[in-house]
Amino acid sequence: MVGIGFRKDFADQFLNSTTLHPDFIEVSPENWIGVGGYWKKMLYKALDKYPLFTHGLSLSLGSPDELDLPFLKKTKQFLKDTGARLFSEHLSYAKCDNAHLYDLLPMPFTEEAIRHVSQRIRQVQDVLGDRIAIEIVSYYTPVAPEMDEIEFVNGVLELADCRLLLDVNNVYVNSFNHHYDAKAFIDALPLDRIRYIHMAGHEQVEEDLILDTHGQPIANPVYDLFGHVMSKLNDEVPVLLERDFNIPELSELQQELDRLASIKAIKRNTYAIAG
Amino acid sequence: MPSPVSTISQHQSALARYCRTGSYEPIPGVRHRHVIRYRELVYNVVEDILQSAYPLTYELLSSAEWNDLVDRFLSEHSCRSPQVWRMPKELYDFVKKEGTPLLSQYPFLLELLYFEWLEVELFMMEDKKASHTSKGDAASDALVLNPEHILQHFHYPLHRKTAAQISDEDKGDYFLVMFRHPGSGSVQFMDLSPALVYLVEQLAIAPVRVTELAKEVCDALNVPFQDDTLSDILTFINRCLDNKLILGFKA
Repeated sequence: MVGIGFRKDFADQFLNSTTLHPDFIEVSPENWIGVGGYWKKMLYKALDKYPLFTHGLSLSLGSPDELDLPFLKKTKQFLKDTGARLFSEHLSYAKCDNAHLYDLLPMPFTEEAIRHVSQRIRQVQDVLGDRIAIEIVSYYTPVAPEMDEIEFVNGVLELADCRLLLDVNNVYVNSFNHHYDAKAFIDALPLDRIRYIHMAGHEQVEEDLILDTHGQPIANPVYDLFGHVMSKLNDEVPVLLERDFNIPELSELQQELDRLASIKAIKRNTYAIAG
Repeated sequence: MPSPVSTISQHQSALARYCRTGSYEPIPGVRHRHVIRYRELVYNVVEDILQSAYPLTYELLSSAEWNDLVDRFLSEHSCRSPQVWRMPKELYDFVKKEGTPLLSQYPFLLELLYFEWLEVELFMMEDKKASHTSKGDAASDALVLNPEHILQHFHYPLHRKTAAQISDEDKGDYFLVMFRHPGSGSVQFMDLSPALVYLVEQLAIAPVRVTELAKEVCDALNVPFQDDTLSDILTFINRCLDNKLILGFKA
């Protein structure tokens, strides 16, 4: 399955043409909870056609603040109402000192942070009654690190016993910004926990800095890394194309979906031949 | 000596504080040259959402005034909503509570912010259902009001004039009903006289026939009930049936 992030910027055109035809769509519950009128109609029109995956932005799992349980319960209701197949969130924080920041800030890579965020992931899983997938976020600076990123990520995955949303672009961006081997990083992950993959574009803004913008097409080195990931996975893992800014013609998005699907197909065919 | 957890919290808090204020205090391990990006990202998200929610206010204020307002809001106010589309309401609440010198320069600014927020809120709010049928007679059947509406009393003609043209001379009483069209979802406005405000308020309580409505309005305003009154109200009702402020008739 290859899906697309359902964005208001192209919702109307998407729903009224066959140019872009993903296998599923993804939304962030925050943008749709409590929404009626025009946008609710559009969402349910999309849900008539496509299965839904969901990707939270505001639970702020890594925050020092208390977990927002009322909002988590609203999220649970949204997942139920929409028949969502999966809920994912970020290994980061977006709220601190009781103030939402509406962006994903990097957590300190420490043992204490592992324990803290893992306990909160477990708490979320208990409330939702299902395991969630956690995304490794892109980051532009470390914060008081006591260990490597891979040690931190693997520590959380094990202690929280959650699934992994592997954002391949994020791994690429992080490997560039923090000078490590992206393939070695991926090889060191517990690949059996990967439940979902994100792909997106980025922009190099400084000689030594790439931003995870979701505003460009997927870059070729990220496709290469995706091929590497797919060569490691035995299962059919859903892949999502994220495009939030500089939205191109829908035909261009479909071309990206086709390319992702073809890379997955090579993998499937390889296994079919081997089998 | 602080515990490791509180140390982590302190680092997280310091980064969050920097993103909100732009005032950086060194955090262990942080690359100052790159941490700037987080301040830009947070500021740009907040500014962008506020600009989308308050296009009239954005157009009214100079760049310096707007940027100063956003800057103050972000640094002094703790945004409570986990839903970014609801966050702009907090700018209105912030200005109302904390004030700003801009209120002296633009006495209608607080109302303008509220007017713009109500439009967002109406457009986005959850659906409210009202049982009704489209078949009926405006002159004899009980009328069903569109529950997706807000009645509001303003002191400036925010819906009639561009904000830059509003002056103290415009100060008065402006009654407005804002409502969401059930088909398109668009937000529409109607000017109302005080008598029509009372009429809409009565309809909001329960479906009523126009004759009863006319009598209630006359009683409330202490004016004699005449055929002209009924005719005028019927004209208003038919207009409301056309634009869907009145959805139809009691089923």
